[in-house]
Amino acid sequence: MKDVAIVGAGMTPCRSRWVEKTFWELAQMAVSEAVHDAGIHIQEVDAGVAGIYNDIFEFQAIPESGFQGIIGLQNKPLMRVTNGGATGAYAMLAARNMVASGQHDLVLVLGVEKALDCYDFEAESNTPAVVQTIGYSWDPWFERPLGAHASESYAEVIQAYMDEHPGDLAPMARAKIVELLCEQAQNNPYAQRLGEKVTAEQVLHSRYVVYPVRVLETCVYTEGACALIFASSEMALKIKERTGREPIWLTGVGAANEPYFVGNDITRYKVLHRIYSDHVATKKALQMAGITIEDVQVIELHDAFIPQLMITLAEMGVVPLGRANDLVEEGIILPGGKLLVNPSGGLVFGGHFVGGSNMMSTWSAMREMRARNLEHGLIHGTGASLSMYGVAIVLERRA
Amino acid sequence: MAHTGKVVASAKSKTKPVISPAMLPMEGITDVQGVDGTYLQRNDVMFTAMKHTQGEFSDFFRALRDEGKVFGHRCPECRHLIIPPFMRRCPACNFVEMKKEYVNDTGVMVATPVITVFAPSRFKGQEPFGTGRVFLETADGKLSDTAMLVRVRTTRGTIRPGIYKKGTPVKIAFCDSRQGEMLDIFAVPQNELTPQQLAKSPLFESEIEWGRLSEMELDKPTAQLQKTLQEVRVHFQKLAAMIPHSPRATANLANWRRTVTVRTGGGTFGLVVNKGKLQVRKEGVKDPDLVVAVQDPSILLAWLRDSTEPVGDSVKSPALTDLVIEGTVVLNKPELETITRLDRVPRSLRRDNVVVARSPKAKQETPC
Repeated sequence: MKDVAIVGAGMTPCRSRWVEKTFWELAQMAVSEAVHDAGIHIQEVDAGVAGIYNDIFEFQAIPESGFQGIIGLQNKPLMRVTNGGATGAYAMLAARNMVASGQHDLVLVLGVEKALDCYDFEAESNTPAVVQTIGYSWDPWFERPLGAHASESYAEVIQAYMDEHPGDLAPMARAKIVELLCEQAQNNPYAQRLGEKVTAEQVLHSRYVVYPVRVLETCVYTEGACALIFASSEMALKIKERTGREPIWLTGVGAANEPYFVGNDITRYKVLHRIYSDHVATKKALQMAGITIEDVQVIELHDAFIPQLMITLAEMGVVPLGRANDLVEEGIILPGGKLLVNPSGGLVFGGHFVGGSNMMSTWSAMREMRARNLEHGLIHGTGASLSMYGVAIVLERRA
Repeated sequence: MAHTGKVVASAKSKTKPVISPAMLPMEGITDVQGVDGTYLQRNDVMFTAMKHTQGEFSDFFRALRDEGKVFGHRCPECRHLIIPPFMRRCPACNFVEMKKEYVNDTGVMVATPVITVFAPSRFKGQEPFGTGRVFLETADGKLSDTAMLVRVRTTRGTIRPGIYKKGTPVKIAFCDSRQGEMLDIFAVPQNELTPQQLAKSPLFESEIEWGRLSEMELDKPTAQLQKTLQEVRVHFQKLAAMIPHSPRATANLANWRRTVTVRTGGGTFGLVVNKGKLQVRKEGVKDPDLVVAVQDPSILLAWLRDSTEPVGDSVKSPALTDLVIEGTVVLNKPELETITRLDRVPRSLRRDNVVVARSPKAKQETPC
């Protein structure tokens, strides 16, 4: 397998709704930025991967079909990846493998999503329709008819974890993480909630969406796009000669999906109080990179919900399961702590344009690694019912 | 239209449309304001109607509908028993065929159920509802290896925290009118049932005594509570007068018509939501759509003060929906929509600058 590096990245601003742009235009904006950032011509790119979560959000089945030509990959392979919330990370995995296998030297990976065109004409509001659209991800026989949906599903995992570890995921620890991410997002020029100030006290008083999860602990819905350019080591070094900039290397990848149905045996079913997919994916990625979680200095983590972020960090081994309050109480992720988590503001404050959110995370981690002179970063994606999909990607900066 | 197979009508057919006609937009293209100009948006739907086959699950749903029984599938090799019977072959044993096995209608919660306060479009009007997973007891006195998601209910009013927890013993009860779907059944805590109810299988919804919340006992009014209630009425009037000045708040109450009687320890008053407006009545409403009961009217006063006065970032009162979920405010039926709509009004008044926040706050894009 060949070494793979990221040589360019491009982002659109994250907005709740882009009435000014279609998803074609958002895709082109991000790709244009990424090739200029990499200092390449789009014609040099051999192939592409498009991460688009949901056909309904795009209002088109096979929504990627319009991209060919618009993003300059005419008569070249373009593969669409859709894997729930983890679509972005899985698309990156596919693109990485296309380069690592030796098949292509330069591959574009693009994530794009609309969302807020969905509208509930009865409630005169977008949100119930957006939530319903995501709700179509549940099976149509056993769970969806009961009203299973994203917040309900993640809340089940969070509640089961709290049953198992009473006292962990304490309200104040959660609220302080929200406050922290809000502050960090102010350093992300593309963040959806730029200029906003949310305090821990506000979080504690915000209403429940699904008990026990409060509205200020949940990610936002976002429209936007992000593109990354993956290169083989030979190509990455050539590009480095042109731009004078060190690439960021993809040295470890891991992925695991848990089963859909909940049961009593972690080797066969989803165990409700775990996010075992995150545990397995992270372990595999770290092993492949030849490092431990202690070596990671920045994590851009898929925070669909703040308590889930805490569980995921425990599954990754940053703290033991049941000790996630330590993230705040021991100052681990607070300013001056040993680990930087979601400097972009994460999906709660940066934005969550599902197909591309994990690429935004990558863009942000690369930026921090360069700015702060960090050696190792970790990207995480989760998704689907009960947070059952998990992807982890290790980034390395070679001085 | 040609049929390729004989269509056999189900024993019971629902006569109401699958989605509310109010969800369907009229044709039209309208203007929408962007950051740098005006753009067009087109009313549309992504429309596919279904006759959605239940395939190999038909037997399971028929057993719910016709027999009032639940069955799972057991692997003859590893002996795992799965409910619902979501697959016919055991992948752990290289796809050996599993066997049908009836299970008891009693079991335990895998974890504390969660309570949906804010529902997707197609579940509007059902909130608050609880969902949780149950391991069911098998004939040999053990528990199933997988759990089934069910709605969880209580005989003591709307669902709220504290009724269920991990390990709570439950009974699966059956709706009297069943279609052959998961909503035909629900869980009830065993400790809310009599020994006779517990012993009966299947236990039907109509055989359970459901508490009547509109008859919630309130203490005798004191002068202080009556005075507070008068303030509540005045503040509700103030709120009602602000709504027409806010397009967002008017939209919050659009397409919704409800009469509400609010009973408090200080007395009773009425609210009428109609055509995007809120009216306040001095007394309760005759034959109200909804009865809201709260012992201490100052709870409502705190919410009203937050809603109608410039409080900036320091909103202290819980949302009305939280008060319902926590059991402080009690509804006579599980219908949260009116309360949810009222809860949106204060934020709309701020966003439309009808109530100006004390400290300037950037536009907030939260999911609900």
